[in-house]
Amino acid sequence: MPAEKDFIILLNQHQKIIHKVCNLYMDAAADREDLFQEITLQAWKAYGNFRGDAKFSTWLYRVALNTAITYFRKEKKKPEIFTSEHLPEDRQAETTDPVEEQVKALYAAIGDLSRIDKAIVMLYLEDYSYNEIGDMMGITANNVAVKMNRIKTKLREQTPKHMQTA
Amino acid sequence: MELDQLKYHLNQKLETAHLNKSAEDIAALLKKRTRSVVQKLKGSVRFELICALVFLFAMAYVAVTTRFWALKIYFGVFSILCAVFAVFLAYLLRRINQLGNTILPVKSNLERLQLIVKEFVKRYFQFSMALIPICFVFSVLLSHTEPIRIPQVEKMASRIFSAPWQLWIFLIGYMISLAIFVYFFTKWYLKKLYGNYLTELGKCISELEEQPA
Repeated sequence: MPAEKDFIILLNQHQKIIHKVCNLYMDAAADREDLFQEITLQAWKAYGNFRGDAKFSTWLYRVALNTAITYFRKEKKKPEIFTSEHLPEDRQAETTDPVEEQVKALYAAIGDLSRIDKAIVMLYLEDYSYNEIGDMMGITANNVAVKMNRIKTKLREQTPKHMQTA
Repeated sequence: MELDQLKYHLNQKLETAHLNKSAEDIAALLKKRTRSVVQKLKGSVRFELICALVFLFAMAYVAVTTRFWALKIYFGVFSILCAVFAVFLAYLLRRINQLGNTILPVKSNLERLQLIVKEFVKRYFQFSMALIPICFVFSVLLSHTEPIRIPQVEKMASRIFSAPWQLWIFLIGYMISLAIFVYFFTKWYLKKLYGNYLTELGKCISELEEQPA
């Protein structure tokens, strides 16, 4: 099927988007794999309605975030405290690099955010404008700005705590 | 350091912490089944639709072939109820199918999902509860119009109950207990299946609806 081939090529080129969302929303490797599969399937199901008037990456972000936000698993009742042991395996290694330490602590602090805040941070990290983030989230740009300020304050407060526990 | 200062490093981390999937891996993933709530809901609705249709035909068959009027009415009414339920389930299935194929903004997607799950839970509960009085009314009405005598049951009843009013009190008590049990069981069952999910969806929607101060 040509549509399937096109989809596979496009998804292969943009798979880092799905990996990023999975890394942000899931702690365990098995859960990340499951979420990757779920996002891929949801994207494939919706691909028939993708008209190309938006960039594929933007469209895929929308699918991935919608799926991740509504993906609640029973096994997800995990400890609320997000420490370095919950980071993907390759990031658990001890490091003496202060920037690396801060990145790990910040990552852990982002892990404590709500599903909605995580989505906003994800899009912010991708350099989407507040208007674009608002369009994807279904809220106003003004609301995005306010939320982003709150998130930054929260991360500023929480990151040092994770540096102590990491 | 702040989010903006570590943005680049964080992005790198998120991007690189994975093994790339090959085109073959992605093609294999497309053949798997989704585990989303929408899929779960679709499975439930399909199963109930099949059950409703099986019951509809079985009850209609009994209603047409039986020579007892009481049974004709009883099974006839339940055939109609099953038909109504089947139509509702088919409509719900169509709406769920529509939901899976369009990609909306996060808030609209959450609201639509919440609406569909809520509607399913509400109608399922209403239907289950409506069956209780209908069953009771029919069982009393039909046992009066066309009583079927079972000697073993009558013998056991006469041993336990010395007067007819005692039997009536027992029957009323039994019906009330059964109704209470069914009410709480259905509530618990639906909450177990979809309650927590609806709560989580509600939380996400409220968070998005928060107006900037």
